[in-house]
Amino acid sequence: MKNNIKKFSTREIILNILPLVSIILFIFMWILASGEGKIIPAPADVIERGERLLEKPINNITLAGHIWASMKRVLSGLALACIFGIPFGLLIGWNKRCCDFLKPIFELIRPVPALAWIPLMTLWFGIGESSKIALIFIGTLMPVVVNTYSGVRLIPRLNIDVARAFGATEFQIVKEIVLPCSLSAIMAGVKTAMGTAWIVVLAAEMISANSGLGFMIIRGSDVADLSLVILAMIIIGVIGAVLSWLLTLAERKLCPWKEEIN
Amino acid sequence: MVVDTCRKEIMSMERRNKLEIRNISKVFLTKKSYEIAIEDVSLDVKENEFLVLLGPGECGKTVLLNIIAGLMKQTEGSVYIDGEVSQGINKNIGFVFQKLGIMPWLTVRDNVALSDKFHKVSKKERYERTQKYIDLVGLNGFEKHYPRQLSGGMKQRVGIARAYASNPEILLMDEPFGQLDAQTRYSMQEEILKIWNQNKKTVIFVTNNIEEAVYLGDRIILFSARPMKVKGIYDLKDLKRPRDYTDYEFLRIREEISNHTDLVIK
Repeated sequence: MKNNIKKFSTREIILNILPLVSIILFIFMWILASGEGKIIPAPADVIERGERLLEKPINNITLAGHIWASMKRVLSGLALACIFGIPFGLLIGWNKRCCDFLKPIFELIRPVPALAWIPLMTLWFGIGESSKIALIFIGTLMPVVVNTYSGVRLIPRLNIDVARAFGATEFQIVKEIVLPCSLSAIMAGVKTAMGTAWIVVLAAEMISANSGLGFMIIRGSDVADLSLVILAMIIIGVIGAVLSWLLTLAERKLCPWKEEIN
Repeated sequence: MVVDTCRKEIMSMERRNKLEIRNISKVFLTKKSYEIAIEDVSLDVKENEFLVLLGPGECGKTVLLNIIAGLMKQTEGSVYIDGEVSQGINKNIGFVFQKLGIMPWLTVRDNVALSDKFHKVSKKERYERTQKYIDLVGLNGFEKHYPRQLSGGMKQRVGIARAYASNPEILLMDEPFGQLDAQTRYSMQEEILKIWNQNKKTVIFVTNNIEEAVYLGDRIILFSARPMKVKGIYDLKDLKRPRDYTDYEFLRIREEISNHTDLVIK
């Protein structure tokens, strides 16, 4: 009996550290693949490159500065997309007339990749911050609007009828029923948009910027400093994972009624 | 105008009718044809009466309730409440929905206070006011629970408390116990009569269950299906409450109604 419990708990421990095992395994394979004379820098090289970066900044901007530069662009573009995209999605999802009028235009613009806007944005906003933020805005607006729209379309008719029967005005229905009902769809849209935002910011920074993680990658590529490139890639990966985790936490906070499959 | 005045006078002479349904018809148009859901239904509901509408599944009872509540528009006919034509949503009507429609993102007390919220009652005041109804349906202690943490019967109670809390004069109940297991159903039937006795309202209760109809109703209106028409009216005023399912008189009425219906097993 006692043996049984012990056996079970060992298994538990292994199961619990599975994520750790997977990361260690990955690093191990990386070490195997890298080494003298190979085109992949070893983990140690990358760490060393990171340390050097802390002492000797690129373009007079520290590592944290580069991270913050990209982050600022991503977050402001995404925030703008939410501010405009969520109400717009609610509007075309809720009001049939607005949908008929606005959706065709939207459907035509939607398939155009955000990167195709680079020439226009550069022309309109120059090569500074605003053109990058505008680009991220366009790229992230689409997933936010599409998810909000389909979230609204999927609301059970019954919920609306209940609100009507209990005397809700049109505005109250949207605010108290439609919005909370479609909140998890909206959050899914924001998560997708976050991924898009990183794609767009990297591309924008690789074309014209003197700060940011994309800039770090292109600089590493220019001077054949692969450790720098990989360092930037790892940082992007970690930040992306952390942000997505934060969004999941936020969703749990915002939607405490939701059951999760686990 | 004159007709209206006459109607009011006639009404005050009789026992007061809370609700009158006059020649209601409802036709649903599809692309190629049409379907008559309700054909020329008229009925009166007296103040504080417990009226049961009995009919086979899908016969249009829900449509009729939706028309009374103003959620759906009738093709013909009128609904009078207190002798006046009722159009659109009427705030004197409370609705218990067949499929509940409890908002999953609201706690029990926020669900119950829904009507107050829409009528801009302050949070403190609406919690104070609705507590009474939460207690009435026996959900005290569950105020801060979310619907997913409740059983089917408890969710149904939330629906009833919510309708009561909107402080209606007429309560519409659309097969509220249809989705409950038999045991819970019996106890909810007792419960609903207890609540009704404590807090008299005019109730229109829809069901497809003859036994439930005989157990609850002051009066039963029997409908036929497709199109929905009145098939018979049974006055159960003389059947003493609390009623017993195995009582001779109870069984006799049940038999009589069931011989007269075309309730079918779906």
